[in-house]
Amino acid sequence: MASSISETNFEESKRIKRRKTGDELRDPDTIDRTRWRSESEQRIYSTKLFEAIRQVRRNSSPVNKVSSGRDIQDAADRVLAVAAKGRTRWSRAILASRLRLRLAHNNKKHKKARVAKVTGSIRSKMPEKKRFIPALQRKVKVLSRLVPGCRKVSFPNLLEETTDYISALEMQVRAMTALTELLTGSPVDRLASTSVS
Amino acid sequence: MNRALPEMLHCLSGPGNGTDMTVLERQRTRVKWQHQEQQNYFGGSEFVGGFLEPSQASQVGDFQDLLGGGGGGGSVLRDVMTRSVKPDPGLESGWPELGRYELPDLGFGSAVLMNGSPTGFEMNSTIRRTSSCPPTEAQVAPEAKGKVSEPAEKMNSAVGRESFKKRKADKVQNTKVVAEDDAKDKRSKVCAEEGESKITTEQTRTKNTTTHTNNREISADTSRENSKASEVQKPDYIHVRARRGQATDSHSLAERVRRERISERMKYLQDLVPGCNKVTGKAGMLDEIINYVQSLQRQVEFLSMKLATVNPRLDFNIEDLFAKEIFPACSANFPTIGSSSEMTNPAYLQFNPVQQMVACCGLEMGVNTPDLMALRRTISAPVSLPETYFDTSCFTQLQPPSTWDADLQNLFNLDSHQGRSISFPSQPFTGSVEASNLKMEI
Repeated sequence: MASSISETNFEESKRIKRRKTGDELRDPDTIDRTRWRSESEQRIYSTKLFEAIRQVRRNSSPVNKVSSGRDIQDAADRVLAVAAKGRTRWSRAILASRLRLRLAHNNKKHKKARVAKVTGSIRSKMPEKKRFIPALQRKVKVLSRLVPGCRKVSFPNLLEETTDYISALEMQVRAMTALTELLTGSPVDRLASTSVS
Repeated sequence: MNRALPEMLHCLSGPGNGTDMTVLERQRTRVKWQHQEQQNYFGGSEFVGGFLEPSQASQVGDFQDLLGGGGGGGSVLRDVMTRSVKPDPGLESGWPELGRYELPDLGFGSAVLMNGSPTGFEMNSTIRRTSSCPPTEAQVAPEAKGKVSEPAEKMNSAVGRESFKKRKADKVQNTKVVAEDDAKDKRSKVCAEEGESKITTEQTRTKNTTTHTNNREISADTSRENSKASEVQKPDYIHVRARRGQATDSHSLAERVRRERISERMKYLQDLVPGCNKVTGKAGMLDEIINYVQSLQRQVEFLSMKLATVNPRLDFNIEDLFAKEIFPACSANFPTIGSSSEMTNPAYLQFNPVQQMVACCGLEMGVNTPDLMALRRTISAPVSLPETYFDTSCFTQLQPPSTWDADLQNLFNLDSHQGRSISFPSQPFTGSVEASNLKMEI
C-alpha cells in the first residue's frame, strides 16, 4: 500500500529524531508513564494520523463518497496503537482486531466464519443471570471492557494498562482537535472536550 | 536451645514430682546458660558458619571430622556438631555410628545413649536435648540419665515436639517460618548467608526432622507473633520485610505486596484523572476512571466525525489543485510561503505554531472580498457542505496571502463551479500547504 510506504518513511524519519532526543530506559516491569506527553510523540502521532486519514479518503472514495466517522476513528485508533509500539496490551489488541476484521472480510465468501461469530456472541449474552457480584468487581469488569484487549487481565495489570490508555487517549484527542482546527479553520466546539485541557 | 532445660524438666517432672528446688536451680542455670550460649554463638558465628556450610552436604565423615577437631571447642562445638548434623535426615542412619563416636566427648550423654533410645529419631532428640545443655548441668546430668533412660519414648517424642514448638516460638524473632520441608535446603542455604539467622535455621531444621504436624502449629504461632521479621524465600522472589505489628504469614505478605502494587497504580491514575482527588477508596476512584475513559472515547468519536466531514473537501481540493495546475504556481510561491510559515517542514503538524502562522497570515494580507468570492467560485468543491460550519468570523480571519493575487487572476479565468464552503478561505491556504507537503514528501 502506498500509504504504508509513506507512513513508514515518516516513521523512520521520526524514529531517527526520537533517537536523538533519547530513549528513556524503561523498566521492564512498568511502562513509562510520561511517554504520551512528549512533544515528539505528539508530532509522530499527528503526522501519521494525517496520512492515515488521507488514506482513508483515498481508499473509500471509489466505494462511497463520504468517509464515515467510524472509519476515521478506526484509522485514528490504529495509528495510536502503532505509535504505542506494541508495548501495551491495548495497542496490540487494537492492531490484532483490525487484522482479524480484515481476514474476516477476505473470507466473506465462507459463511461458516460468520455464523460461528454470530452464535458465539449470542451464546455469551443469553444465559447470563443476575448474580450478586461485589460492586468493585463489577466496576473492574466495566473498566476491562472499556480498555481494548483487557478482559481477562489481572487487576494491577489492568490499572497499568488503563494508565497508559488514558494518556494515549488524551494525546489522541489533542492531536485530532488540533487537526480539525487546522482544517476547518475554526475553533472546535469545546463543550465535548471540556475535560481535556 | 533455650528450652533444652525445660524439656528436661518436663520429662523429669512427668514421672515424679518433688523437684521444686531443683527446678528453680535449673531455671537459673538455664538463664545463665542462655546468655552464655548466645555469647558463644555470636562469638563463634563465623566458626559456626564454617561448619554449617559443609555440614549441609555433609556425610558422616564430616561429622567425624568435626568430632575429631572439636575437642577444644567445648559446648559450642558440641552444639555445632549436633546442629550441623540435623539438616541431613540421611544422617539419621548414621546415628548408631555417631553414637559410638560421641561417647568419648559427651560424657554425660553417653550413659543416656547406652541406656537409651532405639530409633534414630529418639536418639536425635535425646542427644540434642542433652548435648545442648551447658556443661554446668553436671548436676542435672545424672538425673537426666536416669530419667531419660525410662522407656517413655512416647513422652520423649511428645516432649520433643513441645520443645521444638517452644524453641520455634523463641527463635521466631529472627526468621520467618515457611512451613515447607521442600524449601528447607534452599532456605538453609540462603539463611546461611545471614549471620544471626543461622541459629534460627538450625531450629527450623530441627523442626523439619520431626513430625510435620509441628510445622502448622509453629507457623500458626509465628503468625501471631508481633515482631519484626524478614522473609527469606527462594532467591528469585521479591524480598519483603514485614513491618512491626503485621502478620508474618507468607500469604499475608504476598497479599500485602499485591495490595501495595495496586495502591501504587491507583495513585498514578489519581494524578492522571482529574477530579479523582476528592474521592477516596477504590470504588469511587474506579467510577471516576471509568467515566473519564468513556468521555475520552466519546470525544475521539466526535472529533473523528468532524474530521470525516472535513476530509472529502481536503482530498478534493488537492485533486482539484492538481488538475488545474495551480501547483506550479504554488511552487513559485514556496519561498515566500516558506518564509512566512513554519509549515514547510515536511509532515509536521505543530499545534501552536500553525495557529500563530494562520493568525499572522491573516494579518499580513488584506484581500478584498471580491477576490475571495471569485476564489470561492473557482476553487470550490462541488460538494454540499453542512451549513453549521459557516462562520463569517473565520472568513475574515483567514485570508489568502496577497501573493496569491496572481493566482487568483488565473483562477478567475477558469471555469467556476457553484458552491460554498465555509472553511473555504482556509482551503487554498491549506491546500497549498498540503501541496507543499506533498512536494516535500515526493
